[in-house]
Amino acid sequence: MSGALLELRGVRAGYGSIEVLHGVDLVVPPSSVVALLGPNGAGKTTTLSVACGLLPPTSGTVLVAGRNVVGVAPELLAQRGVATIPEGRGIFPNLTVRENLQMATFAGVDLRRVEEVAYGRFPRLAERRSQVAGTLSGGEQQMLALARGLAVDPAVLLLDELSMGLAPLVVEELYGIVAQIARSGTSILVVEQFARTVLGVADVAAIMVNGVVRSVGEPATIEAELSSAYLGG
Amino acid sequence: MDKFLTFTIAGLSSAAIYAIAASGLVVTYTTSGIFNFAHGAFGMMAAFTYWQVNVAWGVPTIPAVILVVFIIAPLFGAVVERVIMRGIEGASDVVKIVVTVSLMVALLGLAQVIWPQNESRPVPAFFEGRFVEVLGVRVSWSRLLALVVAGLVAGGLRLLFTRTRLGISMRAVVDDRRLLQLNGGRPGRTAMLSWGLGAGLAAVSGVLYATEQTLSAVTLTLLVVNTYAVAVVGRLRSLPGAFLGAVILGLAQSYVTGYINPDLTVGPIALGNLAAALPAIMLFTVLLLQPEARLRSHSVGRPRAPVVVPSQTTAVLGGVALVLALAGIGALLAPADLILVTKGAGFALVTLSLVPLTGYAGQISLAQMSFVGIGAVAMATWGANGSPVAVAASVAVCAVIGAVVALPALRLSGIYLALATAAFALFCTAMFFNQQEIIPSGSVQVPPLSLGPFTADTDYRQLVLLAVLFALIGNLLVWLRRSAWGRRLTAMKDSPVACATLGLNLTSTKVGVFALSAAIAGAGGALAGRTFTADSFSLPASLPVTMLAVVGGIGSIAGAFIGGLLLGAIPIASTVFAANAIGVFRFVAIPVRDILSFTPGLMGISLGREPDGAAPQIAVGYRAVGRSVPALVVSVAGAVALWLAARTGVVTKWGFAAALLVFVVAAVPLLPLVLSPARPEDTAEPPRRLACGLWLALATLVAVAIPWADRIASNGLRVVLMVVAAALSARVGIGVLGVTPEQLRRPVPLSPDLVGVDRPMLRADAVEATRRMGLSEDDFEAEVAALASSTNGAPVGPVTVPR
Ligand SMILES: Nc1ncnc2c1ncn2[C@@H]1O[C@H](COP(=O)(O)OP(=O)(O)O)[C@@H](O)[C@H]1O
Ligand SMILES: [Mg+2]
Repeated sequence: MSGALLELRGVRAGYGSIEVLHGVDLVVPPSSVVALLGPNGAGKTTTLSVACGLLPPTSGTVLVAGRNVVGVAPELLAQRGVATIPEGRGIFPNLTVRENLQMATFAGVDLRRVEEVAYGRFPRLAERRSQVAGTLSGGEQQMLALARGLAVDPAVLLLDELSMGLAPLVVEELYGIVAQIARSGTSILVVEQFARTVLGVADVAAIMVNGVVRSVGEPATIEAELSSAYLGG
Repeated sequence: MDKFLTFTIAGLSSAAIYAIAASGLVVTYTTSGIFNFAHGAFGMMAAFTYWQVNVAWGVPTIPAVILVVFIIAPLFGAVVERVIMRGIEGASDVVKIVVTVSLMVALLGLAQVIWPQNESRPVPAFFEGRFVEVLGVRVSWSRLLALVVAGLVAGGLRLLFTRTRLGISMRAVVDDRRLLQLNGGRPGRTAMLSWGLGAGLAAVSGVLYATEQTLSAVTLTLLVVNTYAVAVVGRLRSLPGAFLGAVILGLAQSYVTGYINPDLTVGPIALGNLAAALPAIMLFTVLLLQPEARLRSHSVGRPRAPVVVPSQTTAVLGGVALVLALAGIGALLAPADLILVTKGAGFALVTLSLVPLTGYAGQISLAQMSFVGIGAVAMATWGANGSPVAVAASVAVCAVIGAVVALPALRLSGIYLALATAAFALFCTAMFFNQQEIIPSGSVQVPPLSLGPFTADTDYRQLVLLAVLFALIGNLLVWLRRSAWGRRLTAMKDSPVACATLGLNLTSTKVGVFALSAAIAGAGGALAGRTFTADSFSLPASLPVTMLAVVGGIGSIAGAFIGGLLLGAIPIASTVFAANAIGVFRFVAIPVRDILSFTPGLMGISLGREPDGAAPQIAVGYRAVGRSVPALVVSVAGAVALWLAARTGVVTKWGFAAALLVFVVAAVPLLPLVLSPARPEDTAEPPRRLACGLWLALATLVAVAIPWADRIASNGLRVVLMVVAAALSARVGIGVLGVTPEQLRRPVPLSPDLVGVDRPMLRADAVEATRRMGLSEDDFEAEVAALASSTNGAPVGPVTVPR
């Protein structure tokens, strides 16, 4: 058994009869940030869906702290320390900020603590606690989503395209927070399509193309390889 | 003034009941996405249960209310969610509607079995004989009670939805179900709770209503139409909107009752029934006032099993075969049975009318029998001599009325057409079919068609006429489906948004297809050539048509025919079994015909397991037989064995025929699945191959053993019953096998405790793991570098970090 907190071994998965992942192997060691990069449609989101339990793999295993969790419902995994912030905005647009935070308490942390962490880190959210989340700016919405990942104190955090549709400055700020979360010990798997910012905080990077992980390595090495991967080299 | 006040208070107290019912409906709809047509039926069951507990068993009022409203009803709702509704999550609107409508019909049938209609069951009012004076008007406490309860419900729901985590998570599910899961919330549990809550509210309204009116299963069940007319004011989503709607409807009905003289007439229509028609009028008004719905791009649903459109040649051959077969069977039938089969063929035409609407366009109508009625009445009025011109006129009238009914609802989306058609059916019954001037003494005789030398004046000719019509219209539909218009319909069903961006005019296409469907149903009425009672045009009569059409497999013409046969077979079977009863335990004997009265509902509910109906599954099964050698061998061997048994006289001729039919319809198409080798990925929910195989063998043997010839006198009827037996065996076989399309297969979730993740893992665990491995930052980087260099460029295996 390896010491990885999250590990995918030979995962195949797809939608209906179409296979999207053709044997994905990926390891997220403790207290480190792994960046999963790749062009649009490579299967990054699908990989995260498998990892968080939303999409059952057709074969292969998903190990959390060395235990095979294939078949465990996503809500149960979430309660046991795997926090996921999905693609798009990971918030409930018709609930207020505070109600959104209240949903985070399903993972077993009490509301006071969640609010403390969230408002402490993002004072802007405190000002808007009774505002409906759908009316927040894109950056604020992503902060709200990230606040959950922070507050529930997970062992593993899965992040999908945090930067989508946001201004570069905001992205930088968010990744600053990601780096802080990582320093405090959480293992993080970040999915991104455009890599510059995330490579700054990642310990390991992996490139995924057409449903397989093509290479894994140090961020700097991977960065050099990226353009060929994106241009279909 | 006193009169005004009296009617205002009466109106407000029924408004309170509507508001309670509507809030239940809105709660389940918004939180589970399923519009519960059985909401009224839930209330009805609760009211009867309350009568049973309180009056029949003599349990005092308060414990009886607690038992029914707070325990039985919520449990019932939760069980319904768990057992039925969870299966149709993510299914198409049509399936969702048909399943809840089926539940409604099944509950109605069940209630009529448990509490036969021949007895009157008064439910005593709460606080009997207590009154207060309000501005000089005597008001009973029970009226006030309704108002108080409505206030409590409003306040309670508000608290629940804004102050409790549970209530907030019920709203969160609506926003994003998966995200709630990723938060650790359990949408399944939330849905069960919301159904329990909805059922509880239905029970409150049902019991309150029953104390004010006489207890009638049908009335209470159809109260759902009033309820949703009220809820539509809040777009089915807003509770304050629903309360406002309730006040409007309650007051309007009360004033109409108080101030409009029932003898007043408008043309041939007496206004005595106006109060009953008000919900429909209100619904249509509100729909007209609503701004056009924004198209929402919903996530891609389950892909449907593709229905293969037959080629025109196949359709022509099928049509000819159908006409010949019905002509042949008809010739064998005794007169009494001929009437029944002719009726069945008439129903098939009506189910056929749903093929373009539901099968091709993905819309649904719950008022097909109303169009049959309009066609029938128009024909009776204009075509006493059976002239084809009158038929054409009747059909045209139906098409126009269909377009008018559909227009306001179709501007909005999916569910509203179903609501509008059901309201239209109630409206027609109140203002049209139940009018003495229009259908005197409650029955209408449709004159037989007379086409030159041919007059459909005998049942046999009528049957042949219907068969020819079915074949012709079926061919027309296949032709349409293959045309550009047909492709547009399918595109619209698959993605309204994509169509709109391509500039297709959705509304005119939808109205066109609805008018076509109404016209076909109208033709079914105008050419029925028989006597109808006004009852047969009512909403409760329309529901089974739609249900069974969908059960038959609405994408295909053949499916429509199966649906029509099922529909026709139920009255046939209930006449055959009129005297039989099935004993359950020693003291309950349920007459078979009562069971049959709720079978259509049960069949519809079973749809939750395979949303595309029976016909496509059987067809797919046949295509698979050719590819599976064991299935081919067993099929041929079985058929030969049956034939040998018949030749040597071991089984009777009729037994052989029946068994062969069961074998061909049920066993053969399922064999490839039953005999396929177990696949490793089946482990989550393996098909019950053995059980299904045994069931098929049993069904075939039972078909052999039934003394067909001795028990059933008429040849034709025997054939019909055999077909039904075969179709039912197939359905049960599919159910036993439990194989559902890939998308439906739900693995049973594992408990994390079982796999060893037996407590929440926090950041601290990660830190601890790092420490145990004794890796410092530097070691770690070296490790990664080593790995990267060793696998440079090539596809790599997992990055394993050694201890
Ligand atoms: N819900 C879905 N149904 C069917 N196919 C899907 C679905 N989601 C994604 N896909 C397909 O899977 C492939 C990988 O998608 P995804 O994992 O979202 O890629 P990425 O996140 O890397 O852009 C794409 O080809 C996409 O079309
Ligand atoms: Mg993605």
